[in-house]
Amino acid sequence: MNDLVMLIPELILSGMSLVLLLVARRIQRTRLAAAATVLAALAAALASIWILSQGRNIAFGGMLVLDGYSQFFKVLIAATLALAALLSVRSLEGIPHGEYHALLLLAATGMMLAVSANDLLSLYLSLELMTLCSYILVGIRVEIPTSNEAAIKYFLLGSFASALLIYGISLTYGVTGTTDFRAVASALSGHGPGTNVLLLVAIGSVAAGLAFKIAAVPLHSWAPDAYQGASTPVAAFLAAGSKSVGLAALGRVCLAAYGSEAQVLSVLLTGLAGLSIIVGSVIALSQTDMKRMLAYSSISHAGYALLGLIAGTSAGASATMTYAFFYVFMTLGAFGVVVALGDRGEKLEGYRGLAAQRPGTAVLMLVFLMSLTGIPPTAGFAAKFYVILSVVRAGHIALAVLAVACSVVSAFFYMRVAVLMYMNEADEPAPSRFPAPVFAALAVAALVTVIGGIAPGTLAAWAVSP
Amino acid sequence: MTGYPVLTTTAFLPIIGAALILLFGSDRVARWIALGTTLGTFAASMPLYAGFDKASNALQFVESADWIPSLNITYGMGVDGISLPFIFLAALLTILCVGASWAAVQTRQREFYAALLVAETAMIGLFAASNLFLFFIFWELMLVPVFLLIGVWGGPGRVYAAVKFLIFTLSGSVLMLVGIIVIYRACGTLDFKALTLARASLQPREQAWLFAAFLAAFAVKVPMFPVHTWLPNAHTEAPTAGSVILAGILLKMGAYGFLRVSLPILPYGVHLFLKPMLVISAVAIVWGAYVTLVQTDVKRLIAFSSVSHMGFVTLGIFTLNRNGVEGAILQMVNHGIISAALFLCVGMIYERTHTREISDYGGVARIAPVYSTLLALFCLAAAGTPGLNSFVGEFLIIGGAFRTQAWLGAMAVWGVALGTAYLVWLFYRVAMGESNPALVGLKLELNAREMATLAPLALLTVCLGLYPDYVLSYVHAPVAQLLAAGVAP
Repeated sequence: MNDLVMLIPELILSGMSLVLLLVARRIQRTRLAAAATVLAALAAALASIWILSQGRNIAFGGMLVLDGYSQFFKVLIAATLALAALLSVRSLEGIPHGEYHALLLLAATGMMLAVSANDLLSLYLSLELMTLCSYILVGIRVEIPTSNEAAIKYFLLGSFASALLIYGISLTYGVTGTTDFRAVASALSGHGPGTNVLLLVAIGSVAAGLAFKIAAVPLHSWAPDAYQGASTPVAAFLAAGSKSVGLAALGRVCLAAYGSEAQVLSVLLTGLAGLSIIVGSVIALSQTDMKRMLAYSSISHAGYALLGLIAGTSAGASATMTYAFFYVFMTLGAFGVVVALGDRGEKLEGYRGLAAQRPGTAVLMLVFLMSLTGIPPTAGFAAKFYVILSVVRAGHIALAVLAVACSVVSAFFYMRVAVLMYMNEADEPAPSRFPAPVFAALAVAALVTVIGGIAPGTLAAWAVSP
Repeated sequence: MTGYPVLTTTAFLPIIGAALILLFGSDRVARWIALGTTLGTFAASMPLYAGFDKASNALQFVESADWIPSLNITYGMGVDGISLPFIFLAALLTILCVGASWAAVQTRQREFYAALLVAETAMIGLFAASNLFLFFIFWELMLVPVFLLIGVWGGPGRVYAAVKFLIFTLSGSVLMLVGIIVIYRACGTLDFKALTLARASLQPREQAWLFAAFLAAFAVKVPMFPVHTWLPNAHTEAPTAGSVILAGILLKMGAYGFLRVSLPILPYGVHLFLKPMLVISAVAIVWGAYVTLVQTDVKRLIAFSSVSHMGFVTLGIFTLNRNGVEGAILQMVNHGIISAALFLCVGMIYERTHTREISDYGGVARIAPVYSTLLALFCLAAAGTPGLNSFVGEFLIIGGAFRTQAWLGAMAVWGVALGTAYLVWLFYRVAMGESNPALVGLKLELNAREMATLAPLALLTVCLGLYPDYVLSYVHAPVAQLLAAGVAP
């Protein structure tokens, strides 16, 4: 089949972004741009599903692969994009609508290419496309100092991580003479595992570069600042999108390219996961800013999602896919409530007495918080069940106990929001009604969170690792 | 057999009612919807008692459907003689909770009744679940509604109590989650019945750790001696309906867990932990009773008495003989009835006097004779007076305890004596003597709604006291099977 046909989803997104750039000056109403983005995302999702039905394909001389794994994440990215665009209608004052949505679309294009990457170089290039757009998105509120500061921090640390990634890629090329995943794997099968020091450095660097994208400890320090400084929909887009793409890339690299070094990877991932879970949940306890709290929560969730990859099995990778999927919706939902409440939503204290003023919004937030904590019957519980099952199957029972113990710690800060909402008197006037697109995004996120908890098995059929 | 899935209907009717209330109800109609739903749920559970075969020890009214096929996890419901009485109790007590909250809850009624109904689904579902996965889902589903019931509609210290409750129970249950996953990895199934056969694939060492993991969850809920500290706060601060749910059902979930999971699936673990379990049960009975004696707050007194009474239950379970286990199950039902009734009594008078200090009462019998009569009935029942329900349960447990270790029986008898002391003394201080001047002029006597709320419990107290076979006839067969299947290794 024609290679270009395989790229229809990406072409739709980048095409729409060019259209938006061309007419940017004429777009006065933000809803028009948002509608165009949502439309493009839906079309891209449908196209991804259609390509999935064509079976596994390799395109562009081995640079890209289109399989169940890539298409699963492409649909997820399209959903992230659509929900983020819907959330953007609220907080876009003083921002050029056309350019903003064009950047979202381009970042999503990079994400989609990254999950399809079958070569270290195509992986690097598509991740760069995603990150470059993200830097600008974080700093797009030009007149706000914290936004600029966040963008610069994110850019500096991000460049460092990119350098690590390309360093690891070049070392891999030095050892194996190729950058293609399959070729790397077959070249490595000749070496005894754990013997080649250069290769270990290469793996460490690549893993570090990718760990930055998912904000795993110790490469997490950008996330709280970036989330706090960015406008909330951008923070949501980063928390959901960047994380799922980083996990997808890490999963594919671990299984497809460096599979022969499973032992080393397992140790590395155990460290990343364990540290992320502990640091994320403990530091979140002391946050008073909602977005910073969600940032630390997202760090600990990165750790939970990594648990699935430790086993190095395809069942484990499926668990991580499931986790990423459910995580995207619950985290977008939580950020969505922050968006819906406007300025009041950004401070923890702003949630005081919300349940009496806006019972519906409070129930939605409660569902997302339960899911983030991992309390059934929500998707967050199903996700945790899958990854912990995978850890136990790999024999790391102590890690499983650590993971669940930290989820009790996380219950402290998630439920603190519930306490504020339900058990305190409001000291601010009720927030204004939020626009219909925001409501639509919240409804979709809540539906997936609840249905995913009641019938998690339906998704598992789709979560097929490479 | 009837034409519809009885257990699923019974379990999920309440949550549908909760959704209706949240979506369409105003504060005005919320309580009516709640009353209708709880009555409907109770009615829907009727075929269970009519069609139940008491001679069989198998699960009945079994329903099964694929749920997560890739993991071989099914949606499975079924009841046996051990779980059936608790479904009855849960369905009944929730109706009474609606009755007790009718006038007492004035703020945010929609959310109150929705939380209550979600809790009812969790309670019924837990006792109806026939596999460990579903059991865990319902176990955790209970958490948030009760957390909200305590924290939103409770007394002055409600937030602290609610958070303490949440963290204690969650800490226990996450360890249970790891335990469930370890069992699943070893046995490949989570179905209770299949697990009794597949338990052989669990190594003794594994069983010991698993028992400890499940113990963490169950002990917090019962609550057993060192981890009971959430209970006085939660029960005292909760609104009446919350206390009724907590004392009536939630505490039984832990003991039920021992009967459903620990005994049949982890016999070696039970064997290993037997002595410590018996000792802390005995400590809970006596120590709990002494602490109860010195309480000056009515609600706190009843709350602490639960620690002592639930000590009888765990003592009975871990005697591992027929008398002890059957007595424990009967006593769970009895305690569910009596402590619920006592909390209702306290709640009703609190609505009028707004004080829980015992010293603020006195001579209530002169002002409210009917109320005092009922209070006397429930106090005597709780104290284990012959002819009332608690007597039979405690008698069986003490008999079982004497058979295991004489000193355990002695401790239990001591506990009964102390129980009589604090309950009769409570009644004496509240109802007897000269009327407290502050109370004169208050309309303390119960109205028709409140009498109707207490009447079913009074009736059950007397009936089960005179004819305990109403419950015991259900439990003979499953308990015999439980003990025959070799709780000892």
